[in-house]
Amino acid sequence: MNGQNNGFAGTAEYVASEQLMASVNVAVALQKPLLIKGEPGTGKTMLAEAVAKSLGKKLIIWNIKSTTKAQEGLYVYDTIQRLYDGQFGEEGVDDIARYIKLGKLGEAFESEEQAVLLIDEIDKADLEFPNDLLWELDQMEFYIHETKQTVKARQRPIVIITSNAEKELPDAFLRRCIFHYIDFPDEELMEEIVKTHFPHIGDNLLENAMEVFYWIRSIKDIRKKPSTSELIDWINALQIGGIPLDTLRSRLPFIGVMVKKDEDLQTVRERMN
Amino acid sequence: MFGRFFDTLKAKGLNVTLSEWLTLQEALDKGLCNSSLTQFYYIARMILVKSETEYDKFDLAFEECFKGIRSEDEVTASMLRWLDKPEMSELLHEEEKHWMNQGEDLQIDKDDVEEKFKQRLKDQDSEHNGGSYWIGTMGKTSFGNTGGNVGGVRVGGTTGYQSAFQVIGARKYRDFRDDKVIENRQFQLALRKLRHFSTKLDIPKTELDIDGTVHKTCNNGGCLQIVMDKPRKNAVKLLLLMDSGGTMIPYTTLLSELFQSVHKSNHYKDVKTYYFHNCIYSKLYKTPECQNGDWIDTEWMFRNLDSDYKVIIVGDAAMAPEELYSTSGNYRGPNGGLSGMDWLLLMKKNYKKIVWMNPKMALGEAPWREAETVIKNLFPMYKLTVDGLNQAMMRLMVNR
Repeated sequence: MNGQNNGFAGTAEYVASEQLMASVNVAVALQKPLLIKGEPGTGKTMLAEAVAKSLGKKLIIWNIKSTTKAQEGLYVYDTIQRLYDGQFGEEGVDDIARYIKLGKLGEAFESEEQAVLLIDEIDKADLEFPNDLLWELDQMEFYIHETKQTVKARQRPIVIITSNAEKELPDAFLRRCIFHYIDFPDEELMEEIVKTHFPHIGDNLLENAMEVFYWIRSIKDIRKKPSTSELIDWINALQIGGIPLDTLRSRLPFIGVMVKKDEDLQTVRERMN
Repeated sequence: MFGRFFDTLKAKGLNVTLSEWLTLQEALDKGLCNSSLTQFYYIARMILVKSETEYDKFDLAFEECFKGIRSEDEVTASMLRWLDKPEMSELLHEEEKHWMNQGEDLQIDKDDVEEKFKQRLKDQDSEHNGGSYWIGTMGKTSFGNTGGNVGGVRVGGTTGYQSAFQVIGARKYRDFRDDKVIENRQFQLALRKLRHFSTKLDIPKTELDIDGTVHKTCNNGGCLQIVMDKPRKNAVKLLLLMDSGGTMIPYTTLLSELFQSVHKSNHYKDVKTYYFHNCIYSKLYKTPECQNGDWIDTEWMFRNLDSDYKVIIVGDAAMAPEELYSTSGNYRGPNGGLSGMDWLLLMKKNYKKIVWMNPKMALGEAPWREAETVIKNLFPMYKLTVDGLNQAMMRLMVNR
């Protein structure tokens, strides 16, 4: 499956492990949603972008918040607008369809060509949220009561769902998904990731920065371990700041970019001495 | 076809369902595995396992099924042949690789190998992977690919995957395995019963007030005027008091499960948690360690957390008589001039709704458990199970 069948194989900006690529391709082949879990900052959200880009498909993002309802992803009936329009005799008030606005999921179904739908941070929503979407994700269709229409996916979208494991997801929902856990990248992969972001980075800087990064991660009492995205921010800061390399490990400049808790900063400083 | 694998997964405690199993079969039918054991490993894992905490169980089951120590003749199904055990372990141990080549009479003579290859090409009539004779993948013959033979002929195919057993061998996911992570969804669902909707909260007006709109519109001479209202929100405030005494240690997991469920339920207006040791006295601890000093006054709680708080007390109610009745019965901290019983009566007086959850409650009457019987008469007591929690939540919600 490596790169054959026009499958997903990472992009210039996104380095995916082989397992991750395989998961994406299996999910596409079996037409099941792909559930991605992993430490914060391991690029869960970026995966969907990369998949869309690499397969040349449109990306539709549905960001989930604690107040998001499943219904909002399907469609919203703008009753108030209709009421107002009715008052002033606007044309087409009797056409309910004018006031039905499709949500992100509806948008993905209606799309002429196959789209990539990212349901981001599904665990933020209410406990019942995933259950409310079972039928829609299974059958790839939903019914609009107001207009007695069924919206059916023209092209079954590729659904990618991310979760930070804040809440447990219901079993019925999990059963329908392909699951992938993004491991924290090892040094080799990390080097590759950094290089895709900074193609002209000096070996010396990279080596030193990575050493500090993994050293901080290895400290046991660090509460919030720095992640990939923080390493990238730090290297960026180091490059902009033009810090001489020999002071990198003794002074840890801009360390606040990577270590964000007061207690953690203190721990790092103590360990340095 | 892989019945044994399915059973092993079940035996290792993985909750694999039939629908997931069928999905895996579908994946195999579609040839997504490329007839490679390693890809099969990843595909089976991504379809059957839904949490990184269970990767380790899966690894163990997989190892048992496909690496096993049983003899070859047990594996009859043709599909299992390429998943067969010793062929695979070769990737793990170099010595085994050497040993396995014995089976092929250690033919490294190039001409001889070529001749055999041609011969078998002629004879072979189907796909074979990992056998000890035919050409295929992952095998120990001299022919095919991804195999373990030192001096063989490579026949097409792609490499690139890390060997499944290398992955399993490392048991990378052992750290994730955390048997303390229990399914507390049921607890959470029970806790959801505890809700009381109210519009008297301080939140933005986001819902249409139909009655108000009709009224205003009529007053406005029929010209539409929209009135918005605050959505109804749960107004339940919860006070959780947990016994953290020595006799409660066997129930630590259960308690932390309940604690997590309460804190994951973000639908309450407020949740407060305090700890006590055996019985409630003049101080309540802020942490389960119950360290002297790290506490609040119980009277402060009475003053600041009003009577609308619904109280769940969790404890085994196993107190010695003096712990309950003596004014110096608290052997760990101050009594505050009152006996434990008096403090409990004060609790009852201050809060309208209190339930007691007991993890080791006796079924029916248990007069020999004196303290438990006394407290049962004071507060409604339920066993700390999903069922008991459901009943307790109902009790907290009824108006009586």
